Amino acid sequence: MANYYDIDDVLAEEEILPVVFQQAADCFGLLDSSDDTNEVEAGAKAELPFWLARDLHVRGVVAVDVPPYFRKVSRTRKEIEADAAHVDLRGRCQYFYELGLKIAPLVGDKTIGPFLLVAFQTRYKEVLVRAHTAASAVAPKHLTLLTNEEAKLYEAGQLSTAAFKKWRMGGPRLQRAPVLGRKRKPIE
Amino acid sequence: MYGKKGSELVKELASSEPGQLSAFNNDLFAQVIDECTGHLHHLGSLIRKIEELKKIEEIKKLNNQELEESEKQLLKAHNSGALIHHLSLLRNKRCLMAYVYNRAETIRSLGWAVERVLPEEIEEKLSGSEKEYFKNHAASLQSYMSELDLDLAVDMVPPKDPYIKVRVLEDIGNVLLSDQSANLARHAILFLRRTDAEQYISQAIFTLMLW
Amino acid sequence: MASQADAHAATFSAAELEFLAEDELIEIVPNMRMDPLNLICGDFGPFRPQIATQVPVWLAVALKRRGKCTIRPPDWMSVEKLTQVLEAERDAEKFQPLPFHYVEISRLLFDHARDDIPDIYMVRSLIEDIKDVRFHKIGTGLEIISRERTYALRLKNLSAMEANIVRPFVTRALQTFYKLNSPDMIQESDSVSNRQPQTANRGPRRQLKDR
Repeated sequence: MANYYDIDDVLAEEEILPVVFQQAADCFGLLDSSDDTNEVEAGAKAELPFWLARDLHVRGVVAVDVPPYFRKVSRTRKEIEADAAHVDLRGRCQYFYELGLKIAPLVGDKTIGPFLLVAFQTRYKEVLVRAHTAASAVAPKHLTLLTNEEAKLYEAGQLSTAAFKKWRMGGPRLQRAPVLGRKRKPIE
Repeated sequence: MYGKKGSELVKELASSEPGQLSAFNNDLFAQVIDECTGHLHHLGSLIRKIEELKKIEEIKKLNNQELEESEKQLLKAHNSGALIHHLSLLRNKRCLMAYVYNRAETIRSLGWAVERVLPEEIEEKLSGSEKEYFKNHAASLQSYMSELDLDLAVDMVPPKDPYIKVRVLEDIGNVLLSDQSANLARHAILFLRRTDAEQYISQAIFTLMLW
Repeated sequence: MASQADAHAATFSAAELEFLAEDELIEIVPNMRMDPLNLICGDFGPFRPQIATQVPVWLAVALKRRGKCTIRPPDWMSVEKLTQVLEAERDAEKFQPLPFHYVEISRLLFDHARDDIPDIYMVRSLIEDIKDVRFHKIGTGLEIISRERTYALRLKNLSAMEANIVRPFVTRALQTFYKLNSPDMIQESDSVSNRQPQTANRGPRRQLKDR
């Protein structure tokens, strides 16, 4: 169980899943706030955030379907197999791995785990190379393809490489930056 | 959609730079609380309906009867409705808590960077209780430090030399330092104890010079 | 993948590593006469003109800056030794043994004792080259993590600065791989026979370029 206050975990659970209602639910304006009927019919299709879909699925109120990018036969899977490093996973789901880890045990799909692993293994190498080489000033185009987890990994490598370079350049910065940068109001 | 506003609140946290605060979103915060009140209201009325049906069920049981099929369906629908409102309450609570908690963490870290009084441009971003929180936290830090007789908020970068060379930016006049008295005239270049110089550097009266 | 506090909070800054490196001993030749210094970390001196003595790097640099001594660069900082290391570094898969703080110490000496280092330009560029070769090795070595199930990395002969630079990245990557590799997610055909010994020795460890 992740930290209750963790921002990434809260947001990962906001990702939308397709569901089918297995029974009616008396729930005003859940699906469409302009609708004034009080009821969601059994058999109704809807898209619910993970935090809601999970418990409803466990109690048999809805049946969760996996999002298109996790399906066994999907374009995303084919693309990952072909050229994982250049697939725009962020566009599919910013919390691709986090959501995958949550949804696989829920729907009991044994193929999601290996799929996530293969995707991360291949994409990890690309992140590894770029994090330690790319110039820090320009945000490379590659970054826009990365999911939240991958971007954080990239950032971790990038920040420490940049910090080292800064130290090596040396000069007065070593004494100056922390004392001045912290408390002094900008002048000039 | 339920819980949407709560997640917007958390998204706001996610998009701000680490260590930086944006203004407390009173408006959205209140809207989430309103949504919670709505959920509580719906939850209450559903539970009353469920209890009524249960009572009917009890009575029918005494007469060796069962609920009618339509009543059973209704009970189920009420149950799932109640569940949805309940989960939404929990979700909104988590969003509100995450918002407040993560901001509080940043506010605590400010206590190490600035002493006692927040600069105005930061202060105006805090909510009333956050201001109070900062004040109390800063006061605890101060009292702890004075008990230890140690300034824990000093510069964390290991010093290279106990003495540093500084240039004076403003006319201050004669000042008594720990090991000498110095005439702080504009443009003067001084060789001082680092600990003496630090407070003047932070007030932008000195600027540091290369060795 | 959640609940990571700032990964950098757990690492040293380069300045802190430099500070630690300053405790290493180095030989100086004083040009003044001074009684022994009795410091918390040990006694140093007495100092006599032209008589070499060992002191911590920070003391050597402080004396040097005041013109009180010359610093004798350590053995490994000679053109001859460094050329050997560079060649071996290029040929072998292993990391060559170098002082744990070679990055920091060489920089300190380049900054403060350039006139005491013979062939300084050659020495400087050799150390740069060695560092580049080693970083390249680290990069290719870290690809291993993605190929096999890895729970820990052993990096023999890696220097303080090198380890510090890759630490945030490596720990984060290992953590993600660990989660994605968990038995709940990956059912392997041989998982039953494998799991027992794995728990016994806390999982397989990869040795980075050290076989």
